[in-house]
Amino acid sequence: MRPWLATALTACALIALWLWLTLSGVVSDLFLPPPGELWDALVDLVQNGYKSRSLWEHVADSLIRVIVGFGAGAAVGTLLGLAMGYFRTIDALAAPFVEFLRPLPQLAYLVLLIIWLGIGETSKITLLFLAALPVSAVAARDGVRNVSEARIRVAQSLGASEWQIFVHVVFPSALAEIFTGARLAVGIVYGTLIASEIIAGTSGIGWMILDAGRFLRSDYVFVGILIIGFMGIALDRLLLAVETRLVHWAGR
Amino acid sequence: MRDWRSLALGSLSVATGLIVWYLIGALGLVSTELLAGPADVWAALVDILRNGYRDTTLAQNILATLGRCFAGFFAAAVLGVPLGLWMGRSRMADASLNFVIQFLRPLPPLSYLVLLILWFGAGDLSKIVLLFMGAFPTIATAAMAGVRQVSVQRVQAARSLGATSRQEFVYVVFPAALSMIFTGMRIALAGAFSSVVAAELMAASDGLGWMVFSASRFLRTDIILLGIILLGLFGMALSRALVAIDARLIHWRGRE
Amino acid sequence: MNEGNNMANILTTRRRLLKGAGLGAAVLAAPAIVRAAPAPVNFAFFVSTSPFMIAKGGGWVEEAAGAKVNWIEVGSGAEINTGMAAGSMDLGFGIGSSPTAAGISQAIGYEVVAMMDNIGPAEEMTVRKSANIKTPADFKGRNVAVPFGSTSHFRLLGFLKTNNLSQRDVNVLDLRGDAMMAAWTRGDIDAGYIWSPVKSKMLAAGGEVYKTYDTLEAAGYVIADLIIARTAYSTANPTAVAGILAAYGKALDAYTKSPDDASVIVGKQAGVSAEMAKADMAEYDFVPLKTQLASAWLGAPGVQGKFAGVLKGTADFLVEQKSIRAAPDVAAFAKAINTSYLAKAVG
Repeated sequence: MRPWLATALTACALIALWLWLTLSGVVSDLFLPPPGELWDALVDLVQNGYKSRSLWEHVADSLIRVIVGFGAGAAVGTLLGLAMGYFRTIDALAAPFVEFLRPLPQLAYLVLLIIWLGIGETSKITLLFLAALPVSAVAARDGVRNVSEARIRVAQSLGASEWQIFVHVVFPSALAEIFTGARLAVGIVYGTLIASEIIAGTSGIGWMILDAGRFLRSDYVFVGILIIGFMGIALDRLLLAVETRLVHWAGR
Repeated sequence: MRDWRSLALGSLSVATGLIVWYLIGALGLVSTELLAGPADVWAALVDILRNGYRDTTLAQNILATLGRCFAGFFAAAVLGVPLGLWMGRSRMADASLNFVIQFLRPLPPLSYLVLLILWFGAGDLSKIVLLFMGAFPTIATAAMAGVRQVSVQRVQAARSLGATSRQEFVYVVFPAALSMIFTGMRIALAGAFSSVVAAELMAASDGLGWMVFSASRFLRTDIILLGIILLGLFGMALSRALVAIDARLIHWRGRE
Repeated sequence: MNEGNNMANILTTRRRLLKGAGLGAAVLAAPAIVRAAPAPVNFAFFVSTSPFMIAKGGGWVEEAAGAKVNWIEVGSGAEINTGMAAGSMDLGFGIGSSPTAAGISQAIGYEVVAMMDNIGPAEEMTVRKSANIKTPADFKGRNVAVPFGSTSHFRLLGFLKTNNLSQRDVNVLDLRGDAMMAAWTRGDIDAGYIWSPVKSKMLAAGGEVYKTYDTLEAAGYVIADLIIARTAYSTANPTAVAGILAAYGKALDAYTKSPDDASVIVGKQAGVSAEMAKADMAEYDFVPLKTQLASAWLGAPGVQGKFAGVLKGTADFLVEQKSIRAAPDVAAFAKAINTSYLAKAVG
């Protein structure tokens, strides 16, 4: 059997199961909306928006937060990680904070961020920034540490300066790990996005799901989850495409 | 294996952080009602150790959170590793199941928490399922990738030595894939630890996350900070333990 | 075959370590898995300053229920609705009339068995003194915070509607109590519609009351905190439900007879000072159990009380806000109010 056939068959089986559960009344629509309701909800959201803002505005708000938070966090984190990889002192000073921050559940320090930064976009984006930073830092640091000694020595023997060694040997070599870290960070940031939209907000896809969930509007919740799912896949693919092109070029 | 210099610098760093924290409150930069100082947090710790927090002991909360985290992760590992290995070896299994797994992977757990509570109740089960659903795709994908990247040379070498399919799997494929599987498990466990706190946001009656949220309702920033510090410390310990296990079990990772 | 032996040894050690780690994790996980099995009576409640805390603290509920009680602390009525829908809560104490109206409209499967209190002035708008807000029009362009989905939210939206303000004129922000307090202290919001202790804290920190409750109540925006029971549970355990209501009645009596002593107990349970507990509770109208049976409130068994109409009005408003899809007619709400247990409790 061709692989794509297997995929199609499984998909059909799942849809059939869904239809049977909902249309036969085995499961109330509160728990699992039938396809018709989901479609209506999607159309409603596209046409009328949610709570006085259009669906695209919600999606855009979420995306902007993710991109800015991730971008800033990954950039600063990578710089910090490179410094940590190069300078033992910086590593020793920064390591405790990075190591503490990395596994810390984001929702736990959310309240503190509001207290310090208010209820606007700043606290949300800061949360995402702090979620991306440690992972990127560790990835960059490991990338630097794992550069083959031999390569560096060859460059040195050719008379390259420290800076040239960094630009032409270390950085390209570390790029692969930096990107692995970046993809991990995007995943974490994306997950943290929902947490960040629990704070004062009237927008964002994550907030929409939470708000709809308050009144058990399962139809909106499901549509929102589907949107979030596809957005997540798109983000990951985008980063993968960038990685393939950049790392391939750098690897030359 | 850190040298003394690193240790000293690290301690200096942490000490500076603590001093800054103390000064923020002492100098009145932020009102102490909104940000408790180190002394208040310490007092809260002592109080909770002695009298508990709302009829729960600190140990109870710690065990509840860690217990949920491990339960969800464990279930995901037990199901995810075999499934991922199978999907790595069987094109059919991959074609049938991978698209579901890849859709679940980027889904933030908090987005479907309400649905899980609806389906599985307001007790521990919904939280454990949440953690399971967060960890499972990562582990399965890692196992799948692990199997796929096993060097063809090694497999052929084993075959030429007369190994059966089963021996080939047990002695060549699985150990080589173990490295990736373990990386996947590390990432999954870290994710589970983060999600368990989010899961304790709704209808929970114990756990470190619950403690933080419950305290936040009455603006007890001292307890909030205590909870954060404990969560951070446990997270670090978990992380370190995993790195240690990794180093001992998969020590040959560099060799290739 | 030295290599082979070596490999086998490494693999065995590895497997043993893995097994050990797995066992360790399982041991840690076991209690959680075991506890996933449901407990006798699942009781959802709010940690708040209310006489109910006396009954909780005194163990009267366990006595009345004749079973172990699994106390589930919740932060909002929405959580109770979710838990009830999932069948994992049997009783809900203090759920607001707004989420209750939603729950009945969505046929979640519970009934109102009693009232906890009529909210009245206890939930009110607090404005910043320096913002100089004296008339409804002054709210235009301001940031007003309220926990979405709550009875306060219902009141605030009613306030906007009755004063012809839209949610684009006034910036309505979804903030829970702690976040609201932080925003208030930072000066990010000009007003907040919520209950104590946050309300009293805001008042103490440069706030003043902007009275809305009397006009809103007159316009029909009555809000109350209710006691609900999952219909399957209450039908199967009528004596337990009546007993629990009687225990609550006992707590109410204790509060009415001696507010000071009661405030000490309540304060301890809620984690606030006795003075704050007393001040908070004084603002609520704790309708006595017997009075609740009157037609002005829930009505006696078989007699529809006015409150069914209040719930219907609330539900209609929620439909307008698109928070719920549809609201049934008044009869459905009347059916969802079951005062037989209350009648038994009062005797």
